[in-house]
Order: sequence, then structure tokens, then C-alpha cells
Amino acid sequence: MRKESTDEENWDVVITAKRKWLGLNIRELQQYKDLAKLMIRREFVSVYKQTILGPLWFVFQPLMSTFLYMFVFGNIAQVGTDGIPQALFYFSGTMLWTFFATTLQKCSDTFVNNAGLFGKIYFPRFIMPIAYVANAFFTLLIQFAVLMVFYFYYIARGVTFDVSWWLLLTPVYIAQLGLLGIGFGLMISAWTTKYHDLRNLVSFGLSLLMYATPVVYPISSIPARWKVLFQINPVAPVIEMFRYSLFGMGSCDLKMWGYSLISSLVVFLIGLVTFNRNEQTFVDVI
Amino acid sequence: MNTLVKVEHLSKEYRLGVIGNGSLWKDLQSWSAKIRGKQDPWAPIDGESRYGRRDRFWALKDVNFEVKQGERLGIIGRNGAGKSTLLKILSQITAPTEGTVKMRGHVTSLLEVGTGFHPEFTGRENIYLNGAILGMSRTNIDRNFDDIVAFSEIEPEFIDTPVKRYSSGMYVRLAFAVAAFLSSEILIADEVLAVGDIKFQEKCIGKMKDVSENEGRTVLFVSHNVGAVAQLCQTGILLEHGQIKEYGDVGMVLQAYAASLKG
Repeated sequence: MRKESTDEENWDVVITAKRKWLGLNIRELQQYKDLAKLMIRREFVSVYKQTILGPLWFVFQPLMSTFLYMFVFGNIAQVGTDGIPQALFYFSGTMLWTFFATTLQKCSDTFVNNAGLFGKIYFPRFIMPIAYVANAFFTLLIQFAVLMVFYFYYIARGVTFDVSWWLLLTPVYIAQLGLLGIGFGLMISAWTTKYHDLRNLVSFGLSLLMYATPVVYPISSIPARWKVLFQINPVAPVIEMFRYSLFGMGSCDLKMWGYSLISSLVVFLIGLVTFNRNEQTFVDVI
Repeated sequence: MNTLVKVEHLSKEYRLGVIGNGSLWKDLQSWSAKIRGKQDPWAPIDGESRYGRRDRFWALKDVNFEVKQGERLGIIGRNGAGKSTLLKILSQITAPTEGTVKMRGHVTSLLEVGTGFHPEFTGRENIYLNGAILGMSRTNIDRNFDDIVAFSEIEPEFIDTPVKRYSSGMYVRLAFAVAAFLSSEILIADEVLAVGDIKFQEKCIGKMKDVSENEGRTVLFVSHNVGAVAQLCQTGILLEHGQIKEYGDVGMVLQAYAASLKG
């Protein structure tokens, strides 16, 4: 027994009943980075395999939504846009909202959609949420390029934008939305394995939440007594800040943005813990 | 010889019946009753608690064994003996209830062929995807790509067609071919050879034996196919009701298995 002790200690894999709390194994994730890349590609490419429009699908949907919002909210309901050209206002809002909503929805389905894969093979489960958020991010980049085309079109037409230094924080805004999407998504993913009906609630809840977020209207058009709704919604200040930074119009509420920044970190950590507690035994529950 | 796998007092318990009370609302009621210290409104009336021993089931109970480097261990047993549960724990797909498993080296498990194949992707793309899921690096796949295709016996003109158009035999052959070129120290395989024609099955067993003998790979093999186990493995484990009934030389274990089938 004694003489083996040096030999006993260097095991590569030890499997026990213990559940881990925050076991995000970075070294292990790095070993699987080829898989992560392929999973991102798989997610990205399967959107347009065997379609006519191909990669155009990445911009088609937000463009159609923008036209619809211009028609319904801009022309019929006459909702203001803080002086920002309507196309830019709606497109930037939809683009950021879709990034958050897709990440959340895909992450919340991690276990249910990959039950077949997870039930047969081990790889760090966290690769799937990474692939989902990366995929949503690339979609956002493409849409961002389209937004820039519109942006310079308006500048060429003589519209002036008072670009603020806050624009430099754009990566932070995007990271914030990503963390919020992953965080909420992972929390929900733990519950959807047990109660499959929550999945319906997610898509419904997201479409409701979109109307509690300044996507189709600016915060300034909200009556004071409803403002509290936007103060608890961590997505709202991010979209407002982004618009303020790029167009120099609208509101810039640093206190709300700071709150949103902290809550996205907290939400992400809670999501990560829930995910880790769940991933070892979900196969028995799903 | 080095011990690569050490399984100690491994047990896995499953709860029978429906998970929870069947709905979130009833679970919340049970939970709030527990918090307030009241009786669970959804507990069965006949005395046994919902978490009592009656609806618990041990799929594995106190399993101990060791596997040395280069050893090929066959795990046999009747349906429901706990073979798949054991492999799932060894593959880190589900956690055990008690006990530990310690392993040295890289582990690959083939519990199903073609795990992670995406039907819309071509054969070529799926080789890379499946290889990466099994833990192969990109350069490793690049190096072995032609051998993988040759081993799968798929005509090169099909390799750039989406696998959803493949026949089921082609699909399986391609999937196993990827696995055959893995370089992990420990290979865990569950009934993967139940598919494909006899000639291909023999080729797969030959390949597994080959890598084990020449490169010192360790193989844990689960199958109902007594012939395949006898051909491939040196040692065996006979599982019955989640416990080890017989453990040792493969011939002896297979005899015990045959006896248990008659009795």
C-alpha cells in the first residue's frame, strides 16, 4: 500500500459522486478548442445549408423587422425615436436585442437539444453555450456591418451624428448582453431538463420582455411611473447606451448602466453555478 | 504493468417512476410543505415516503476492478445487468452515487457510432467534427484522413456528399473508421459492432486487437456477442443485477455467462 502511494496520486481523471460548484476547467476547454471551433462553424453554417438566400438570412430577418417597425410604430403609432433616423433606430435595437434573445434561447435549450450527444459522449458541456454565443456574435458582426452602411448613407445625405467617446465601450456593451444571455439561459437550462414546458414559456417570455426593452421606442417616451420597469431590466440601459454612443441622441444614464453591468456579471456567475451543478446528472433526469 | 483504470466501490442508484410529482406546481407544493415543516401533500398514503427505499433501484452496487495497460477487458451480462450504466460512469456522462473511478491517460468512449454527426454536413466535414468530439486534434485528423476514408471503404466520390444521403451501412462504417484512428490510451466501446456486415465487424475487432497489441492500448468492451468478446478480450467481467458475479480470465467468465443463461 505504502510503496504505491507516489503512483497512486497522479491520476488524470477522477470520477466521484461529488458535485462541483464552479468547476469551469479552462485547461480542459483549451484541449477541446478544435471542437469548439467546429461547433461554432456547425451552428453557423447549418443556418443556411440548403437554402436559396444562403448567408443573406443573417441580415434578412432584422431588415424585415426594421421595415415592419418603421411602418407600425413609426408611421401608424407615431412613436418618436429621439430624433434618430427611424431605420437606424430600429435596426440597431433589433440587432442588439436579437443577439441577447438568441443567446438566451439557445443556451436555455442546451441540455434538451443536445441530450443525444451529451448522453453518449463526454466533452466539456460548456462548449455548447460558447458555440451558441459565438454564433450569435458573428451574426451580430454581419448586422453591424449593415448598420454601418445605413449609417454612412445618412451621413452622406447630410445628417450629422454627435458621436460620443462612449462608443469605445461598444465591446463592453456586447459582452454585457452576451453574459446576460448566457447567464439567464444557463439558469433556465437547468430547469428545462426537469420541466419541459418551461421552453414554451421562454419564447413567450422573451417576446414580452422585448416590449419592456427600448427596442421599438426610446426610454424618453416612457411615462415616469413606468420607469421602474426599465430600471430592473438590465438589457434596457445597454441598448440605450449604444444608441447614445453612436448617434449622440437619446439618454445616457450611467447609474442604470452601472447597475446593468454588475447584474450581468452576477447573472452570469449564477448561471455558471447552476449549469455546473446540473451537468453531471442531467442525463438521469431529462 | 501500469494500472490505468481503478474502480472502487462504485454504485449507482436510480429513482423509479416519475421524476418529482409530475408537474412544477405539485413540486412547489411539496417543497413549501417541507419548508413549513408540514406533511408532503403529494406523498403516497401507504406509509412509505416518496423518497423511501421502495422506489429506489441500484443499477450498480459495490463494483470493484482494475485494468492494466494493454489489457482488453470484456464486460458481459444480461439485459439490465448494469453494463451500460457502468460505461456511462466510466465515460463521465453521468456521475456515480457512491465510489470512485480513477483513470490515467486520455479516455475515449464509443457508446454509439456517429455521435455528433450532422446530417447536413458532408462526409469530410463529419470526419473532422466527429474526430474533434472524440478528442482528436485537427492535425491528427489531417494526418490520418486518407487512412480513415480507406478504412471506411467509402468511395472517394461520396466523401463530399452530405451524410444524410448515405446508406446506413456507409454511415456506420465512416463513423467507426474515425474512431479506429483515435490515439487515446483507453478505449471504451459499447456494442458498436452490432451494426455493419460481418466482414466489417471482423475488421473492426481486428483493428482494436491490433492497436491494443502493438501500441499498448487498453480496451473496455461491452457486447452481447460472446464470439466477439472471446476473440478480442483476455479478461472478463460478468455483471448480474449490478454486481460482479465473475471476474477473471475471459474463458471462465464466458462459461459462467453461458451457465447463467441456462439456469
